Amino acid sequence: MTVQISTATAHRRLSAPVRTDLAIGAGLLALAIVAPFVIDSKYLIGQLILAMFWAGIAVQWNLLFGYAGVFSLAQMALFAVGGYGTAMLSIYLGFNIWLAIASGAVLATVFSMLVGLACLRLQGVYVALLTFAIANVVYFLIMTDTACFRMQGTTCLQFSGGAAGFSRFGDFGMRQLLRGNWVMGNYGVVLVGFVLTMLASWIIIHSPMGLAFRALRDNQPYAIARGINRFHTQLLVFGISAFFTGLMGGLYAAHFQAIGPSIFSLSTLLFIMAIAVVGGVGTFWGPVVGTVVLMVTDEIMRDMGQFRTLGLGLLIAFFVVALPGGIVGQVAALRARRHARKQGV
Amino acid sequence: MDIFFAVLVSGLTNGALYALATLGLSLAWGSMGMLNMAHGAMLALGGYMVFTTATTLGLPLWAGMVAAAAAGAAFGALLYLLVVRPLLKHGGRGFETSVMIATVGVSIALQNALLLYYGGQPLRQPFAVSGAISWGKGVMPMLNVTIVVVSLAVMAVMGLLISRTRMGRAIRATAQNREAALLMGVPVERTYLQVLGLSGALAGICGVLLSAVTQLSPTLGADPMLKAFIMCVVAGLGNLPGAVIAAFGLAMIEAVVQFNFGARWGFPVLLLLVIAILIWRPNGLFGRVQIRRM
Repeated sequence: MTVQISTATAHRRLSAPVRTDLAIGAGLLALAIVAPFVIDSKYLIGQLILAMFWAGIAVQWNLLFGYAGVFSLAQMALFAVGGYGTAMLSIYLGFNIWLAIASGAVLATVFSMLVGLACLRLQGVYVALLTFAIANVVYFLIMTDTACFRMQGTTCLQFSGGAAGFSRFGDFGMRQLLRGNWVMGNYGVVLVGFVLTMLASWIIIHSPMGLAFRALRDNQPYAIARGINRFHTQLLVFGISAFFTGLMGGLYAAHFQAIGPSIFSLSTLLFIMAIAVVGGVGTFWGPVVGTVVLMVTDEIMRDMGQFRTLGLGLLIAFFVVALPGGIVGQVAALRARRHARKQGV
Repeated sequence: MDIFFAVLVSGLTNGALYALATLGLSLAWGSMGMLNMAHGAMLALGGYMVFTTATTLGLPLWAGMVAAAAAGAAFGALLYLLVVRPLLKHGGRGFETSVMIATVGVSIALQNALLLYYGGQPLRQPFAVSGAISWGKGVMPMLNVTIVVVSLAVMAVMGLLISRTRMGRAIRATAQNREAALLMGVPVERTYLQVLGLSGALAGICGVLLSAVTQLSPTLGADPMLKAFIMCVVAGLGNLPGAVIAAFGLAMIEAVVQFNFGARWGFPVLLLLVIAILIWRPNGLFGRVQIRRM
């Protein structure tokens, strides 16, 4: 009875934020659709595509960590499973690239279920440590794979691609379709994937299931006492987040026509975490804001070359210490304070 | 029989190194619930410190050792003052995760700073001991003997510090119950500072010993840190004697697997074992009920 009342009031209260989200989303989408027709430089469009990949992973990580409270460090590994799955299915089994991308996303989900079954019985930092270790083991096994699986000309290729990874397994077919403008075609495909990712995470956050895992994050004993099964709920979120992360991974592999073990590197994971932390963990638009800020900062720091990673590391530490809510969290807090002051007067 | 000794030597040496790394991590976790992801970078810092003092400045080795420990301790203290203390002030909620993310950032920054200063090429470290002890058919290089002996000595000193001194009592009291310790007049902030200082000094020493068997590179601490993490987890985070036992035990198992199935399977098998143990006992082998900062 009380549960029904509280969800009903929650829905009524949410209607204003829903409108805001919708307006922001529509505005961003319009901008994103116009962008490739206005921007002339291929490099910039390429960077936009890259930004959508990073933002897509960060959104999913944020769903997992910021909303559901599962501190997983295997996000890049799931992304890699999607990408590797796409590459390996199209090379070994001759899958069509679209089918391979979809299957890659499913593979990532299956992998995440296995990881989740092993890790999610534990809590907090234990989950972080185990997922981190598992991601590292997968990376290590790929890097040290030297056994010949097939020959291409005179070079010996490993089953897992080894240290070199895979390349030339097919693309979106935009080169035949649009010729010189193929980047715009790729941009469109990745944009569709990114919008799907955003929509899915928005729907989940605002569904009853979203309420359930936010309740688990905020007050676990109470949520469990109300009949929410922690293990099942978290496993479900883990799987959903893995599906879309894997999807982004497949799109990434098809866009670059290459996937290699460097995707596992700690600095990539760090970049994703930085995006979420700078933008605001547990806020819906945080990862998008974070991506914009970090991509621009990265572009500026490119001139400083070697100090880039150093700067990124310090930036993360600074944001965690000084602005724990991230940019979006800070803005929301400021607005709330102003609102309170206005009402007080 | 030769293989048996080779495995034994390798397991003992790695076990000693892992135990030192694990001890430093476990100390910080046990007392303040902080997982220090920068620990690996601090190992590298120690290794490079002994290179600077002994090779570049030409000071004796023991001075290099002291410098490494001092540099580690100083970095640990700095980490506490600049990162951990402000985070603790925000309140306990989310501390465990935010400190982890922040220290990942610090770790990347420190590794990169080492890379920029010393360059990327692997360096040879001056800490070396020649000769070997033979015992029957088994041969143990003096270097490995030294590593094991130094590690055990450092662990013994740590044990005495924790169990016998005033500082150790304060550390244990804070770990058991922060509020109660605070009310009893234990200077909790200073205790935390000491804990991270000690943990840093351990990392420095461990880095010196570690780089003696491998080579100096900014990422040299990454692999041992990862293994130290899972050893901490197996033992139950924050349990110091358990951490040491787990370190030696797992290092032995790793050595056996590596000799029998090849080097690349050592870590995966270890991880599977750890996951199995955790499903059986979610708080680790020797874990008591987890301490939670509220």
